[in-house]
Amino acid sequence: MAGFLRTEAGKGLALSAPASLYVGLLVAAPLGILVAYSFWTQTYVEIDKTLTWANYLEAATDPLVRHLMLRSILIAGAVTMATVALAYPIAYFIAFRTQKKTLWLLLITIPFWSSYLLRVFSWKLILGFNGVMNSALISMGVITEPLTFLLYNEFAVVLTLAHAWAPFAILPIYVSLQKIDRSLLEAATDLGLTKLERFIRVTLPLTVPGIIAASLIIFIPTVGDYVTPSLVGGSQGKMVANLIQVQFGPANNWPLGATLSLVAMASVGFVAILFVILATAMGRRIR
Amino acid sequence: MTTQNIIEISGVEKRFGTFTAVRDLNLTLKEGEFFSLLGPSGCGKTTALRMIAGFQDHDAGTIRIGGQDMAHIPANKRPTNMVFQSYAIFPHLNVGDNVAFGLRKLKLGKAETEERVAEALEMVELGGLQSRKATELSGGQRQRVALARALVMRPKVLLLDEPLSALDKNLREAMQFEMRRLQQKLGITFVMVTHDQYEAMTMSDRIGVMFKGQLKQVDKPEVLYARPCSQEVAAFIGGMNFLDAAVTGEVNGKLHADVRGFGPLSIDVNPNVARRGPQLLAGIRPEQLEISAQKPDGYDGYLQGTVTNAAFYGENVHYHVTADGLPQPIAVSVPNYFHTVDHKQGDPVWLGVQNASVIDLGAREA
Repeated sequence: MAGFLRTEAGKGLALSAPASLYVGLLVAAPLGILVAYSFWTQTYVEIDKTLTWANYLEAATDPLVRHLMLRSILIAGAVTMATVALAYPIAYFIAFRTQKKTLWLLLITIPFWSSYLLRVFSWKLILGFNGVMNSALISMGVITEPLTFLLYNEFAVVLTLAHAWAPFAILPIYVSLQKIDRSLLEAATDLGLTKLERFIRVTLPLTVPGIIAASLIIFIPTVGDYVTPSLVGGSQGKMVANLIQVQFGPANNWPLGATLSLVAMASVGFVAILFVILATAMGRRIR
Repeated sequence: MTTQNIIEISGVEKRFGTFTAVRDLNLTLKEGEFFSLLGPSGCGKTTALRMIAGFQDHDAGTIRIGGQDMAHIPANKRPTNMVFQSYAIFPHLNVGDNVAFGLRKLKLGKAETEERVAEALEMVELGGLQSRKATELSGGQRQRVALARALVMRPKVLLLDEPLSALDKNLREAMQFEMRRLQQKLGITFVMVTHDQYEAMTMSDRIGVMFKGQLKQVDKPEVLYARPCSQEVAAFIGGMNFLDAAVTGEVNGKLHADVRGFGPLSIDVNPNVARRGPQLLAGIRPEQLEISAQKPDGYDGYLQGTVTNAAFYGENVHYHVTADGLPQPIAVSVPNYFHTVDHKQGDPVWLGVQNASVIDLGAREA
């Protein structure tokens, strides 16, 4: 036993054991339970453990599920695009235009010093009917009546999530920008390119891996976000996670909840893989 | 054929804060010339090259390329192209797209672009490797791609920033000849920055030696070696023994001087000498000295000493010889004919020198 632990394979196994155990117990096992539940049926207070596709059939045919799933993916997509678009210039600034990189990276993490719930709630205060935004605009005389399109809709969800996820987008893009050899940029200039052409033909394709990483980090958890849509989404901003929560909570239909979770997971996975393939192909087309 | 001036640099200065990287740079390069800027690291040679390329503005003076003032012309509009020290091969593009990178901006059309890329790759002996990934190239191949990518633009001047420093010794020597051949074939002006004196000497038509931001001497390699303008230039290029000498008179362009250790010698006045002083510094190349156990015949000056060190270098043998009154040993280099080291440490020897082998270096600097 002691001999085995000294071999490369043994060392590797020993080092990965804690994480494997953790992932096995806390991810794989619950996932297995979820899969099992999705094939069962809720009968008032008991669970009928006969295997059936009924839940999947319901998930596939129910227009509400399809509607919420599509909306979740669209909102998550919008959040991802908005966040990456906002994060790229910041990452660019930190990587290329400032010497105080550590300070800037520290400043970017500041929102994390307060809780996620608190930050979502702050947006509610900012965007609300009598919120900071409306009060400020009224006192400046820009508007006379409070704006009502700020809160309880998709816009509020996208805004709140984009703010919450910004650091997760900035960091991978920053790393990929930082890795670019500065002489590549000079070479592009030397070969006659303007700054914009150089950005499109050198910087952008070289940061595609960073953009993909940032997009996945934001898109995947955002599709299943539950807190933000329930706090700032109103009725128009509800997402699939809210429906899943209802199944596990008030509706007390765990099998359908489990099925919806798995369908959501599969949809996210599909969209994510499609995105990676498309983004990589687009990056390769730039010559 | 009349050769025109392609680059004219006058009074150029570059400061970084309080540090002056390049001061009063004056240099004229002819069309089709292979010119090297040689100097130790931090002497300002790379800054000078980057000012020609347009990556750095100059604070004073003018730079003209092909008669045109470059003051307000950005790097991407200059008729120069550069081979970077790191080669700067675009990692996301294959060899063909790397070489075509600048051509695509010119919108030449697919056929012409492909033709010029193929031609450029053929030129650097990478013909047919268009679809090879940039990440799959060896160091030597990367260097060739960098050359092809710059030459395909048909620049008036090709700038090379330490182009061979990343290659191993054998490859470096092969590339020296190849780049020289390429330059002569194309007739493009090459300006190379290097800290390697041998590289500069084997490839260049002329060499400019820089120290502390100042261009000290510009000459052909053989003149630079035979008639360096000062002690620091002499010390930087090849080996050199420095000996103090007392001038006793000057007749017909010859200095009569009492050279320490060797006695009275007649030294040709070196027209390149930058600074004169009351004392003369004489220089003798190690390979210009004769070393022998008995007093050799036919030399103008002699020194009797003792071998303190003998080292076998392969193509030659190096000795250090000390004598009374010499502040440091004299280095002697003898070609290796018979694979023998003839003098051992502690042996008494004679050194002989001809008048013509003694170089007038003006005043001692340090």
